[in-house]
Amino acid sequence: MTFDLPFRLGCDIGGTFTDFVLLNQNTGRFEVHKTLTTPHDPSEAVENGVIALQQTHNGFLAETENVIHGTTLVINAVIERKGAATAIIATKGFRDSLEMRREIRYDIYDIGAVYPTPLVDRPFRREVSERLYSDGRIRQELDTDAARQVFDELAAQGVESVAICLLHAYANPEHERALEAIATETHPEMAVSLSSDVMPEIKEFERTSTTTVNAYVKPLMARYVKRLEERLAARGFDRGLFMMLSGGGIIAPETARQFPVRMIESGPVGGALAAAQLGRQAGLRDVVMFDMGGTTAKSCLIRDGVMPISTEYEVDRVHRFKKGSGTPVGVPTVDIIEIGAGGGSIASINEMGLLQVGPLSAGADPGPICYGLSGTKPTVTDADLLLGYLDPSYFLGGKMDLDLGETEAGIAREIGEPLGFSVLQAAWGIHEVVNENMAAAIRMYVTEMGGDLNNATVVAIGGAGPVHADSFARKLGVKRLIMPRGAGVYSALGFLVAPVSYEISRTRILSLNDTDAARLGDLFKELEDAATPVIEAAAPGASIGFNRIADICYLGQGSAVRVAIPDNADPEVIAARFLDEYRSRYGASYDDLDIQIVTLRITATVQQEQTAIALPFTEGGGDAAAALKGERMAFAPDLREMVPHKVYAMDKLPAGARLTGPAIVEEESSTLVVARGGRVEVDARGWIVVELGDAQKEGP
Amino acid sequence: MNTASKQFDPITFQVLWSRAISIADEMATTLVKTAFSTVVRDNHDYAVAVYDAEGDMVAQANQSTPGQLFCMQRVMRDILEQYPTKSLSPGDVIIANDPWLGSGHTPDIFIATPTFRGEELIGFGVTCAHHTDIGGRMAAPDAREVYEEGIIIPISKLYDKGEPNDLLFRLIERNVRVPERILGDLRAQMAANHFGGERLIEFLEETELDRLSDLTGPVVAQTEKSMREAIAKLPDGAYESSLELEREDADGNRLVIKLRLEVRGDEIFVDYDGTSPQVDLPINSVLNMTIAYTVFSIKCALHPHIPNNKGTSLPIHVSAPEGSILHPEFPAACMFRSSLIFNVVQIIFDALSNVVPEKVMAPSGTFPLWIERFGGKCDDGTPYVCGFNGQGGQGARYDKDGVTTTVFPANVSSTSVELLEVEAPLLCDRKELITDSGGPGRQRGGIAQEVVLRNLAKKPAVASLSGGRFHIAAPGMHGGGTGKHGAIQVGDDDPIPQPKQVLMPQETTITFTYPGGGGYGSPFERNPAHVLEDVRLGFVSPERAREAYGVALTDDNGSVDKDATARLRNQAAE
Repeated sequence: MTFDLPFRLGCDIGGTFTDFVLLNQNTGRFEVHKTLTTPHDPSEAVENGVIALQQTHNGFLAETENVIHGTTLVINAVIERKGAATAIIATKGFRDSLEMRREIRYDIYDIGAVYPTPLVDRPFRREVSERLYSDGRIRQELDTDAARQVFDELAAQGVESVAICLLHAYANPEHERALEAIATETHPEMAVSLSSDVMPEIKEFERTSTTTVNAYVKPLMARYVKRLEERLAARGFDRGLFMMLSGGGIIAPETARQFPVRMIESGPVGGALAAAQLGRQAGLRDVVMFDMGGTTAKSCLIRDGVMPISTEYEVDRVHRFKKGSGTPVGVPTVDIIEIGAGGGSIASINEMGLLQVGPLSAGADPGPICYGLSGTKPTVTDADLLLGYLDPSYFLGGKMDLDLGETEAGIAREIGEPLGFSVLQAAWGIHEVVNENMAAAIRMYVTEMGGDLNNATVVAIGGAGPVHADSFARKLGVKRLIMPRGAGVYSALGFLVAPVSYEISRTRILSLNDTDAARLGDLFKELEDAATPVIEAAAPGASIGFNRIADICYLGQGSAVRVAIPDNADPEVIAARFLDEYRSRYGASYDDLDIQIVTLRITATVQQEQTAIALPFTEGGGDAAAALKGERMAFAPDLREMVPHKVYAMDKLPAGARLTGPAIVEEESSTLVVARGGRVEVDARGWIVVELGDAQKEGP
Repeated sequence: MNTASKQFDPITFQVLWSRAISIADEMATTLVKTAFSTVVRDNHDYAVAVYDAEGDMVAQANQSTPGQLFCMQRVMRDILEQYPTKSLSPGDVIIANDPWLGSGHTPDIFIATPTFRGEELIGFGVTCAHHTDIGGRMAAPDAREVYEEGIIIPISKLYDKGEPNDLLFRLIERNVRVPERILGDLRAQMAANHFGGERLIEFLEETELDRLSDLTGPVVAQTEKSMREAIAKLPDGAYESSLELEREDADGNRLVIKLRLEVRGDEIFVDYDGTSPQVDLPINSVLNMTIAYTVFSIKCALHPHIPNNKGTSLPIHVSAPEGSILHPEFPAACMFRSSLIFNVVQIIFDALSNVVPEKVMAPSGTFPLWIERFGGKCDDGTPYVCGFNGQGGQGARYDKDGVTTTVFPANVSSTSVELLEVEAPLLCDRKELITDSGGPGRQRGGIAQEVVLRNLAKKPAVASLSGGRFHIAAPGMHGGGTGKHGAIQVGDDDPIPQPKQVLMPQETTITFTYPGGGGYGSPFERNPAHVLEDVRLGFVSPERAREAYGVALTDDNGSVDKDATARLRNQAAE
């Protein structure tokens, strides 16, 4: 199939860099570009990147089918508290729910713990007289006169955006809509977010928190999207601009303007989307995406090509890696685990006298000692360098010279001497400890999801991913790993394979005993009707597929399980699905307890063909010898000593080539280390597939 | 066993230890996900650990509750006394909930599963969970003896070589109110232990470890060394403290906890001599729990981030008079021992505030726990039972204000108002922060809340009301002021004098005023800008700012009147 408009452009605005990936859908080739982010107006960096890409692809924008856009704008505004002047309007008596949180500690022993400052402080949390019962019936009518006055006062105080969060609004949005109407009538310039639109689900703290985040970033996002559209239009692009959502779908800019909170974690989704696509292409059942970069490692367990979705996400953690220390955001988000373990993670000796690696990071500046930018604290990259895994003369494809002497001295001083270790032992310690940290976190994550790693494949991406993947996979008991071409920048490709997709939810508390297929069908139909225009706005006339989902629990249980529901399912079928899901997650289920539906969801997705992605590489031949660059000494974990490793150039390895560990495969964006016992084969797409084998059986 | 411990290099040791902790954490995840009990799922009232073949703890799950975790070590010792290693076989499962062996009340059931590699015992997966019910006079606030508090299971085999102990199963089933849930949760504990056992076998096969005990020794030694170093930094000395509680003995005298804490070299000696004799109320705390919370408090202050294993407690020596509320004799009632034992945290912090004032916190308004229960019938005749948890304010810290409405030292979630109203015909009129509830101080005590609940149903609801600090508010520390005291009021009646059960007719309200946290340091030393900010936020009233903090504001309360403030503070200083 040939595309009339061959190009797709992905761009991801990060805190420091804005990343671009330009894919030619006809050849499957892609190009990656980076430019500095422009915080005063992030759309400027997008334009800069487009200009730069035109140097190599003259006039490409005219032949571009769509531009897919992700941004850290939303999350950074929250973290840096740089959002709009925002107010909350709550039911009388309940303005403090945002501040009271769940009233639970995230650390049992730390009496010095602090909690996030509420996005909206108390004087700007206002109340109106009104009250609904839990089934949505009105107990007390809305006092509209008083409400008008509240809006007038807020406008006079310079409030730009309002989050309206009334009790039980998920069951009946009437009062929230009436307030919105007053705002529109009296203060049309004020942005309004209704909790019954943003997250029509039960639990007032979580719904208020999510709606408040939405309100806080809404004016900012509206301004930004407008400028972005203008800049692209000025360059001659006025076709499909899409926004990447945290849930892994893309959507029209207007939807992102209304619900910017849905974009809050759009960046990290790229790696998961790309790995999921790779898994589907390779026909793999269980894939562990392993994306290790400079400051963190991310991982995601993808089963049957489907990414796990969570609606219990949290941002802006006071303790970045402690659950419960942040601001809950209950929108669909790909369930990715993030660990404070990257190339820049700092190694030190902790108060127990043990070697600690991360979560502190040296970042890009000063960075690891070996960068020679005045960094003095040893990092994972420093250790990898001394272990021979990285080539000092070929770092980032030879674009950076690394300082070995300083690195050795730093590791000896900070780690080796306190522990009574040689430099090499200390470097190995850092490498080993960071791998164990990552493996421990991921074992836990997989156990929580009820997954099984025995037949999984690790897909190693990110600059440091392939360097650590061998040891990481062995620790998890995974027997196979794949490194795609362009591994270091692979996550950027994810945006380009994302479908137009949107999830809508509504709390509808129903006992399975008291409902039937027809009633459920009507409720799901309502949600489908609500999602259709959102999809139409992004993909007019496309064929839409709907997936029905319900959050279900046993009566009286605190947390619900996300269960896929077939169309026209009657309560017996739903109960059976729930019990299956419950058993697969938790090991057992109970037949004698009442089952309750809490929230209904539908995911609307445009049915489309997958875009193929492949980097150019030497085809045929099957002989690895041509790619051999030489040999260098690197650390063999099983022997605990430096041994010769053959070094190969990845771009010269042809399909069908085979080699065995110990070996190193280098490309510009990353380096793959294969330990002894590993058997490598280059597959037809140019991916490196490693069967890890058992080093012990190789003999010394 | 007389073979010397195998020596590991520090990295190998660390990786092995981390792996062992990860096994315990995964077991805990399995337990939490499988358990039905909301006490386990939402209140985190469980402990999980892996033990070596000698019965010493190798690693514990990070989220384990400190009381159960500490007591588990004692339980394992007693289990191995009753069933020496040689008498254990594959397929055995051991159970116990005797409060005097375990964690001090009957709902906490310990399950230990020996793990075998072939015929060789390699270790144990052990879990403790707070069960939904254990029979007896369900949570009776006036129980006088432990016999009223449900079935007591001595150390027994629940499974013997894979065969269920039919008698014991039937006995449990016949003595509890919701047997399917209790048995379900026992199965969840066994599943978690089994999972841990499988992981232990893999662990030994994949690493160079021959025996778990080779790891236990260095783990305990390293932790102990680190704890001793932290204690050694304190100057030697003895500190005394006394704490009057608002609960009374049979003669109407308030109960008292007395403490003498002595730092000597790298050890701490804690003696509760002089503490009130045990009472005929369900609040006595067995010695295990007393030691557990003594160690917990010292660890929080001196070394919060090290693992809580035997090494943490080895340098801490605790004694309490036999027959006292902190070391009661059988058959004292003890169901609500938490309402007493959390005071140990307060008195230990008070003693330590003489030595490490920067590492302790002022008394909190968050204990005793406020866990309210409601039961009745909806208008359509459906019966309901539901709970409501809320929190007061934490005590202020040396350099930080107290945390607003957040639980301490227990760890339970609050109840969502929307969920409550779905579950029961109750309506919450308001749930809001209380101005001037935090104790004044250089650092202000945590803010508390007020909650009003209303019965909508025609049938009266039965409300079991618990809470405290009704008469003795959370005091301040080092010159800080007391937090607001707690109160529970039915309708317009006078506040109830102590926890009790009441009837709540239709449209009757109950007002819960949670206690605030104590302040830290003199309020006259508080930065006036922070007082102004507290006034802006409505945490402190302008009057309180003036009277307690010596901070005068301008007429619009928009800024600090510097001259007037200086005058107020000078007057106070004179």
